[in-house]
Amino acid sequence: MTDSDTTESVIETLGAEGASDSVIKELAKRPKPPLGIRIVRGTGWTFIYLGVLILGFVLHQLFVTDFFAERAQNRLATELEERIDFEDPTFAVVEIETGVIVEVPEAAGGGPDLTGSEFGGAIGPLFSFEAVPDKGDPIGNIRIPDIDLTWTVVEGVGLGTELKKGAGHYPKTPLPGQPGNAAIAGHRTTYGAPFHNLGELEVGALIHWDSLVGTHTYVVREVKIVQPSETSVLNDRSGGWLTLTTCHPKFSARQRLIVFAEIVEGPNLEAMLANA
Amino acid sequence: MITWVYRHLPGPLAVRLVLALMLLVVVLVGLHFFYTWLGDSFLDTGGSVG
Repeated sequence: MTDSDTTESVIETLGAEGASDSVIKELAKRPKPPLGIRIVRGTGWTFIYLGVLILGFVLHQLFVTDFFAERAQNRLATELEERIDFEDPTFAVVEIETGVIVEVPEAAGGGPDLTGSEFGGAIGPLFSFEAVPDKGDPIGNIRIPDIDLTWTVVEGVGLGTELKKGAGHYPKTPLPGQPGNAAIAGHRTTYGAPFHNLGELEVGALIHWDSLVGTHTYVVREVKIVQPSETSVLNDRSGGWLTLTTCHPKFSARQRLIVFAEIVEGPNLEAMLANA
Repeated sequence: MITWVYRHLPGPLAVRLVLALMLLVVVLVGLHFFYTWLGDSFLDTGGSVG
């Protein structure tokens, strides 16, 4: 607000209160401050407004985005629990020795009923029990004890959609727990910052993946920094891999931090390693 | 600036208050989308590659 604004306000108020015209005219005649002072004041107010805008941006990124992510995570966790009984997972069970599929989860739905059929060395059918999820649907929980991380992961990596709910699975890669290179992306500083401390992971750290087919455990084999265009990190790999990607450094989108982890434990591990 | 805008709103006090409130909501929603775009573009693009 400037002096002229104040004067104008006083005149309006006086007018509304029935002050005489002479008083109002007298006030209106009051000289404006010198140009230099007006410029300094104007500049000052501009910086104050800019400061408020920047402060608003920081608060928005730190708290408002977290609020949306937390709300989405609560909903996704409930949705996932309804779908998966983690205490007693009804994951697909294959007798490796005989190669016979003995149980297929109901939630897989839509696919052929393979119960009783033979594994027969073909990797594909063994891991096709999980129906391809719709974008935005929760597909499992990722747990990394070393950095105290537990997040529900959704299908898809749309910046304006899925990643606002938490970490997201790249649809063009296999689901975690399946042969090949499954990849997951996550924010590092906003929207709950699921991968905020990913940089602290060291080779040998464990990553757990809970899904419809049970719990798989991966061990970190490599941590590296790449350019955002480096899509080769998503390339398929033999065996069972989990690749995590996030922004690097913190509070910047200049590069990407990549964590490669290899499966060491979980349902159908032997068959997955047979793919190596 | 804020008081200047408020003083130039038309109508009696009640109408001006309602208009001011509506204006505030519009500004906040606008800022939310602007901040979201700014953050997604420069601060943290979600960590995906490609």
